[in-house]
Amino acid sequence: MNTAAVQTLTHHTPKDYQSDLKPIWCPGCGDFGVLSSIYRALSGIGRPPHEIAFVSGIGCSSRIPGYTTAYGFNSVHGRALPIAQGIKLANPDLLVLVAGGDGDGFSIGGGHVPHVIRRNIDLTYIVMDNQIYGLTKGQLSPTSPRGLKTVTSTYGSLEDPVNPLLYVLAYGASFVAQGTPADMPGLVTIIEEGIRFPGFAFINVQSPCVTFGEPDQQLKAHKTAMKSLSSLGHDPSDRLQAMALAQDYGRELYTGIFYRNPDPPPKYNDLVRERQKAMAPTALPKDRILEMFLPE
Amino acid sequence: MHDLIIGMAGSGGDGVVSAGESLITAAAIEGYHALLTKSFGSQIRGGESSCRLRISTRQVFNPNGTLDVAVALNWEDFLRFGGELPVDGHTVVIYDSKTGVAPDNIPLAGVRPAATLAVPIGDMAKQAAGTDKAKNTVVLGLLAGWFGIARHSILAGIRKKFGKKSAEVLEGNERAFAAGVSYAEANPLSGGRSMAAPENGGATQFVVDGNEMCAAGAIFAGCQFFGGYPITPSTEIMQFLNREIWKYGGAVLQAEDEIAGVGAAVGASFAGKKAMTATSGPGMSLKTEMLGLASIAELPLVCVNVQRGGPSTGLPTKSEQADLFQAIFSAHGDTVRPVLAPISVADIFGITIEGFNIAEQYQTPVILLSDQEIGQRKETVSPIDTKTFELIERRRPTANELEHYERFRITESGISPISTPGAAGGDYLASGIEHNEQGAPTASGEMHARMNEKRIKKLHPLKQRRDLFVIAGDPQSPLGLISWGSVAGVALEALDLARAGGLQVKLLIPKLLYPVAEEVYQDFLGSVQAGLVIEQSHQGQLYRVIRMFVDVPDGVQPFNKSGSNPIVAREVLDRLQEMALELQRRRAPELQPAG
Repeated sequence: MNTAAVQTLTHHTPKDYQSDLKPIWCPGCGDFGVLSSIYRALSGIGRPPHEIAFVSGIGCSSRIPGYTTAYGFNSVHGRALPIAQGIKLANPDLLVLVAGGDGDGFSIGGGHVPHVIRRNIDLTYIVMDNQIYGLTKGQLSPTSPRGLKTVTSTYGSLEDPVNPLLYVLAYGASFVAQGTPADMPGLVTIIEEGIRFPGFAFINVQSPCVTFGEPDQQLKAHKTAMKSLSSLGHDPSDRLQAMALAQDYGRELYTGIFYRNPDPPPKYNDLVRERQKAMAPTALPKDRILEMFLPE
Repeated sequence: MHDLIIGMAGSGGDGVVSAGESLITAAAIEGYHALLTKSFGSQIRGGESSCRLRISTRQVFNPNGTLDVAVALNWEDFLRFGGELPVDGHTVVIYDSKTGVAPDNIPLAGVRPAATLAVPIGDMAKQAAGTDKAKNTVVLGLLAGWFGIARHSILAGIRKKFGKKSAEVLEGNERAFAAGVSYAEANPLSGGRSMAAPENGGATQFVVDGNEMCAAGAIFAGCQFFGGYPITPSTEIMQFLNREIWKYGGAVLQAEDEIAGVGAAVGASFAGKKAMTATSGPGMSLKTEMLGLASIAELPLVCVNVQRGGPSTGLPTKSEQADLFQAIFSAHGDTVRPVLAPISVADIFGITIEGFNIAEQYQTPVILLSDQEIGQRKETVSPIDTKTFELIERRRPTANELEHYERFRITESGISPISTPGAAGGDYLASGIEHNEQGAPTASGEMHARMNEKRIKKLHPLKQRRDLFVIAGDPQSPLGLISWGSVAGVALEALDLARAGGLQVKLLIPKLLYPVAEEVYQDFLGSVQAGLVIEQSHQGQLYRVIRMFVDVPDGVQPFNKSGSNPIVAREVLDRLQEMALELQRRRAPELQPAG
């Protein structure tokens, strides 16, 4: 798409990625920690803010693009992934980040997840998973545990939660990680690694809702519960082991990289570019395009 | 004859549609104008299929009604198409004698055709080519022989088509064609029904359907991204772009659903590319939320709806003009989206370019309302001078404006410069939430009102675009016709018939359906006392939309039908003649001497 390959690397401090907008989140929200981890990870990567597109859907966490100096797109509920894919295919030189909540990614927008994975488009998708709908004030979410009582499950939820980690692994995601703002350095590292990964990277962040979340899901609880996968001796190139560990979602808080495909499939956005390049010489000049319809 | 309408029906393997394709190609090469519409049963393969071909020495704009020639390879299949293949007393009916039906006993209730010809089509095919697969080639020979159409070009087409196969197949088909021609010559029709030579013999003509023409227009306009999902009858747009767009630096994403298709197009537009999606009725419903996003984020986008019968799955393979209300009113919130409609296959090329231009200039989604008739019918199209099209690009910020960039700055025109990711200094937040001039989310009702004003005001100049209307006929006439989309082709023909019959009529065809250009309608209706708004929908949607915005004289009535029976020019003319008489009667008392 005739965009010159512009991928600048320069020195930027985390503050360079911070916009003037004040977050609307409740004091103590886990998303603050995710936001500063993103600033720090982006600083580590070094792409200037204007070469980054940051897309989200709807929800508390989906406000996040506005708090950065990247080109942001706070879109509609559940549709961040399709929009991000359009951006990446239109201009593969951009660094494209996607963020949202568990409702956005695994309920209303859940149908898009398998497809972005099988295309392996080079996006980094950060889900702030808090097992509750915060923006609409405390309803059941797709990752809420069975039995949870909320304003829309007065007598307790009757359904099992989605397991986001197992879900994306089963669909064939090549990079799957989990973090928590209770471990900021760890979170910064996996976001940075996710961005550097050549292809679609999925990062589930256990980001507590301080207002509607359960007491045992708060940052303080995370600090004692979290177990780093590396300390367990997990080999991130072992997909089956990653799936076995992912089964513990909801019971254990593992942090780090579950799976990093040592031999990832080609990136869709690269294939698109190659095809464009290969086919360009066969183009009829546009002012003669109707000649395609000459009768034979 | 100057105009010949042939209808053919058979079962899936009989190749009647392929025969229609051969005929339109041959007609185009010889310089005839032609339209080919195809109709199928709902089976995916096999089942009945039919086509209608209208060949004319002059340009024609619609498939018209009753057949001059009806070809029935078997009666069961033919009759399944009912009103799509109407036969009357001037029709020549050709059918396979093998069906065992006696000529005076053909199953057309109450109709005595001008001629009924039982031809051993299947046997001739077997004899000539050794297979009854060549039945359609025999039919081509019969048609060429009896109606004098394009004999040499049809034969050349057969040679090209079967030349790729074995010599045996080619020779068999050549013999089958010759057998058809000889049969016709040996059994001449009484009354002579031979086609006159085309007025523009030998001129270059393209043969193309509306969906492909739309896609070609998109490429010409600079479209570099298409996101979509297969849905009848729009899929050919995606298929064509999937073959071609890469050559022009673009990409097609066949998305997982309609929403993702339009979503990716919105994303590509945000990233600075001209982007498009296409769908039909049910898909349009799914895309509606995303169109609202494009409206508030002020992102250019072209969304094509190739209309079919609805609601829901409705009639997926049949044309209708029943999505006008949806196109105009389905948005949530106060928003205006330009709605355009082409009137023919040739026209959709320019209308698509216009769609991109309006989208880019006004930073808005544009809905292009095509219909199955235009989308899937093949038409001969004369060369189009592409130099006449100006291409418009979105207004990007100047270096100065990037110093203190405000994405949604409230300007005199309502249009604010739009930056592109990658441009330093131009970063902003695009959002579905209401925002201030800088793009920051806001809950201020006052800001919302100002932004609504900006977003709607910027489209006002469209109402002055008189070039997006066809205005024809006698400007002072008290009789007026209004029509749109493919059905406008019927109105154009009715106008010609009226003129030929000495009836003064004027015609207005809006290609811009929304926003409603009140002044254009008011000026047109100034002289009108009676008339018709012709469209293919049950409610008469255009008639009602016009009345929302414009005072329409009581004498102007809706003339609308839903279903797949095309409205024909002759019945429009009949209504106009009645209206003219009524006007005369009403005027008569004024002419009586007082007393």
